[in-house]
Amino acid sequence: MAGRAGSGAGMVEGARWRKWVFFYIPLTVFVVGTLFPFYWMLVTAFRPDAELYRPWRAVNNTPFWTLHPTYEHFVYLFRETMFGAWLFNTMFIAIISTLISIFCGLLAGYSLARLRFPLAGALGTGIFVTYLVPATLLFIPLATIVRNFRLGDTPWSLILTYPTFLIPFVTWLLMGYFKTIPRELEECARIDGASRLRAMVQIVFPIATPGILSAGIFAFTLSWNEFTYALVFLQSPQQKTVPVGVVSELIRGDVFFWGPLMAGALLGSIPVALMYSFFVEHYVAGLTGAVKG
Amino acid sequence: MTQELATPSAVPIPTAAAGVRSGWGRESIQGFIWIAPAFLYLVFFIAYPFVMSMYLSLSSARVGSPENHFVGLLNYQRLFQDPVFWQTVRNSFVFTIGSELIRLIIGLPLAFALNRSFKGKRIVQGVILIPFVIPIALSALAWKWMFDSLYSVINWMLMHAGLIEYPWQWLGEPGLAMSAVIILNVWRGFPFSAVILLAGLTAVPQEVIEAAKIDGAGPLRRFHYVVVPIIRPILFVGLLYSIVFSFTDFSAVWLLTQGGPYNTTHVFGTYAYNIGINAGDIGMGAAITLFIFPLLAFIVIVMLRLLRRE
Repeated sequence: MAGRAGSGAGMVEGARWRKWVFFYIPLTVFVVGTLFPFYWMLVTAFRPDAELYRPWRAVNNTPFWTLHPTYEHFVYLFRETMFGAWLFNTMFIAIISTLISIFCGLLAGYSLARLRFPLAGALGTGIFVTYLVPATLLFIPLATIVRNFRLGDTPWSLILTYPTFLIPFVTWLLMGYFKTIPRELEECARIDGASRLRAMVQIVFPIATPGILSAGIFAFTLSWNEFTYALVFLQSPQQKTVPVGVVSELIRGDVFFWGPLMAGALLGSIPVALMYSFFVEHYVAGLTGAVKG
Repeated sequence: MTQELATPSAVPIPTAAAGVRSGWGRESIQGFIWIAPAFLYLVFFIAYPFVMSMYLSLSSARVGSPENHFVGLLNYQRLFQDPVFWQTVRNSFVFTIGSELIRLIIGLPLAFALNRSFKGKRIVQGVILIPFVIPIALSALAWKWMFDSLYSVINWMLMHAGLIEYPWQWLGEPGLAMSAVIILNVWRGFPFSAVILLAGLTAVPQEVIEAAKIDGAGPLRRFHYVVVPIIRPILFVGLLYSIVFSFTDFSAVWLLTQGGPYNTTHVFGTYAYNIGINAGDIGMGAAITLFIFPLLAFIVIVMLRLLRRE
């Protein structure tokens, strides 16, 4: 890859100092700025309360690190709030809604990429358009529907609504993937007498595994991170997901429990951050979507 | 919601469309059956709620009240007389345009930088996407703490650098609050812009650039005449997505300011939430969200045309 990009836009021309001034220094500032909020989250999560709320002008003030790291905020999080339950809920909801979306997306993506049938173009466009419909437009009517079906305050209210933004995305991503797989491969299998379903499951899916993985990882992170629907549909503390639980249970009126808040934010970010770091390539593939398709 | 995600950019229109046959053979039936789960799902959970939203906006629906009358355009009339609503409209545009401009200004040089090779490139590439990956609700909390009225680390740094003389009330002063929300939105969304731009840049064939170089074109002219025409489609699609996400944002603004101080940061999402969910006035809330629709429809049409043309 270095070769490709290396000759690429070319290195900065001219003297060494120019390279530093115009390239390395801005880039470093940029990376530091990007990561600083996470660093601040980390420091705050381990900082004892006495130090958190200490005036700036105090002599022993060490703003950017702490000399007395403490676990008290994490202990508080698990003892005084239902953080464990929130983690479980988030995981459960994310997994089931991802599975639903992958199931629908695989079938729809395959039929759009491979099968010829009337209205295929219109249906495909329709699915694409739904991708642009934001939660802001839907949360009020969906809240009414959730209430009417008596799903309010249950994980199912989210499991059923998250696929609304996952299915269009998964379908388009997989459709792009299926198109890159040569048709001949399945045709061989079909000549040998396999049904289309069998050819799809045994020949196409294994080849499309990277695509399915990208779609799955992306869908999982999106569900894990979702905030609007979770805020609107869930009320009782034991039903909440991590993002909503942390926000609504650790901010009481004007009182912010900054230590536990940051500890919760840290723990809630770690699963997606880990997942991301293991699958960066898939993630980026998911993000740039069906470019190749 | 965190629908601020990926883009099936440069989405191709299904090839099936090109070769539609009128036959209703086995393949057609199979096609319909396989696409049915996704299609019905989206009809039930997107199309139906959308239609319902239009009905709700014409009704007097309230949370917890069984009575639900058709009231015509009353909700819209009330909105038009509501100064906070007009402020919300203005804020939404300021928020969106501000965020997109800054993202582009930061994203473009960044994408160019990432398009070269240098030591640690993979790490930088991995790192810049993190704000986009982490739940917005959680990273917004970190920002809220950084903007805190008493313990703001940003103020601390600015004061020690001698740039400000007294601690700024980032979330308490109208103009500053809007900048704070824009900063958060830019920080969270620029990885998206950079990755899209980078995807566009890597598509520019090196030979073409070299050829322009040999012909004596400087960096600016190369950019304008060679790079821009090639990356324009993907740039445009990415920008449209980005606009949709900013314009319809709820989480970032709600978490940082809840629309305050004095409604100066309310955008459509947060105002609709306040009225439709907090105050329980479903009809009026639905009417507010529907004002997103014209811009959304416009963007969808532009995008579909763009994709068709390719």
